[in-house]
Amino acid sequence: MCSVGDDNLEEKTSKYMEPVPKFKLDDNKCNKCRASTPCIVLRGKDAYCQACFLSGTTHKFKAFLGKHRFVYPNDKVLVYHTEGHPSTSLLHFLRSGLDLSTPKKLRFEPIVIYIEDKIDLSSEERSDAAEFIRKQVEEYKFPLHYISLCDCVKKNNKVAECLVDDISKLSIGDNDKENLNQVLNSKANTTNKRDILKIYKKTILIEAAKHLGCKVVFTPELGIDIASQLLTNVSLGRGIHLALDVGICDNRDEDVKIVRPLRHFEIKELAMYNHFNRLEVVAKKEKLENIYSSVQSLMKNFVGGLQNNFPATITTIVRTGDKLAMEKSLEDNPRCVLCRGPQENRNEELTSAESTSFSHWVSTRSPQYSMTPVERYEKSLESFSVAGDSPYCFACERLSHDLVVS
Amino acid sequence: MSGLNITIEFGGGAELLFGNKKKQEVILPAKEGEWTLKDLIFWMKDNLLQERPELFIQDDSVRPGILVLVNDADWELMDTVKYVLEAKDKIVFISTLHGG
Repeated sequence: MCSVGDDNLEEKTSKYMEPVPKFKLDDNKCNKCRASTPCIVLRGKDAYCQACFLSGTTHKFKAFLGKHRFVYPNDKVLVYHTEGHPSTSLLHFLRSGLDLSTPKKLRFEPIVIYIEDKIDLSSEERSDAAEFIRKQVEEYKFPLHYISLCDCVKKNNKVAECLVDDISKLSIGDNDKENLNQVLNSKANTTNKRDILKIYKKTILIEAAKHLGCKVVFTPELGIDIASQLLTNVSLGRGIHLALDVGICDNRDEDVKIVRPLRHFEIKELAMYNHFNRLEVVAKKEKLENIYSSVQSLMKNFVGGLQNNFPATITTIVRTGDKLAMEKSLEDNPRCVLCRGPQENRNEELTSAESTSFSHWVSTRSPQYSMTPVERYEKSLESFSVAGDSPYCFACERLSHDLVVS
Repeated sequence: MSGLNITIEFGGGAELLFGNKKKQEVILPAKEGEWTLKDLIFWMKDNLLQERPELFIQDDSVRPGILVLVNDADWELMDTVKYVLEAKDKIVFISTLHGG
């Protein structure tokens, strides 16, 4: 058995961190008011009563908006609504914030968008989900727009043409899955497919925001989404755009900022928030996913598994991510045509990615034996044009092979 | 000894595992000893569950991602699976799986 690096460890057990012991309540009192009986345990250690929990949760949301000041009074904000607890909580946070009569009232105008992307479900289930969303958003009295992901991809991302404000105009077809798959190479793996669809959705949000006159988009990503996206980004070669993809605000577009107001929440908080406020969420029939099918699900499972035993995992990853910023010199670089992030700087020397493509290029040419090896090397290097005119960034270059149309 | 009368509620999509019924009143049959939450979970698996058990159960408990509330309080306050059920208890199962 390999024992490199184990020299200093006497006992096998000390190799691993001990999981945090399961929760034990010392006195049956809320951690904050020290008076009421608690009803929820957060972070595996803090117990709160219902009143303290609900006011704390609302405060956390408003504190985020207050601290960062992305939105100014009377601005329009596009809110990305989807199934699950987080976006339902988001709508409720917004409605209750707007309806306040205190000076802390929210003063902007939310517009909700629903991207119909449930291609794995039957047409009937998809119509039901859309109808549920319609009723739900109507209750909150927000304007709602719909867009079909498939429609949009087919029409080459002409978002303005595909955006509809009436549910009857939302196209839900039986062949959407096949149509969507036609755009992607049939050999594309799940990781790449998910990455591409994520980029498409982001493009839709930005374009729809522009069309509807919004300067800010709110998306419902939670702490765990941010943490797993961070690790996914690193493993897919998107480290350069990390600060944009997982930061507080994605400002790769000049006019529209994508803000993630739920990034410090955990799912339990929002599920309980919805339960105590009697909010219904759009339920999705869940399928058992093979966690090894894509990098994204593997990362999510990894982070989630750690979080179960070490409740500080997600916050540690998220806060570490917050300290990463994009290099200033990149800001004026040409943009990648797919993800719209700035491209890497060109160096005099070959980067490791370029070295790899050089190595691929040189080994696919037939060697000329009339020259000495040194001459051969120099000639090859000379005629190797660094992929400098690629319209893609490093990670999207790899994805671009899976796109049938781009 | 007569059966134990309790209410089971589902939310967040957990109802889809149980024939899309959000609320069920059930009478647990009398048995030797006390009914714990773990017994209830396995009884539900045998009597109410309509989908594959692995969507609901993992090891000796519910799968991570399903929250359990006993009378509107987090079951972590009640020693989770070891909680002893009482008549008229309301047990809520909330699925927290979300798209992403």
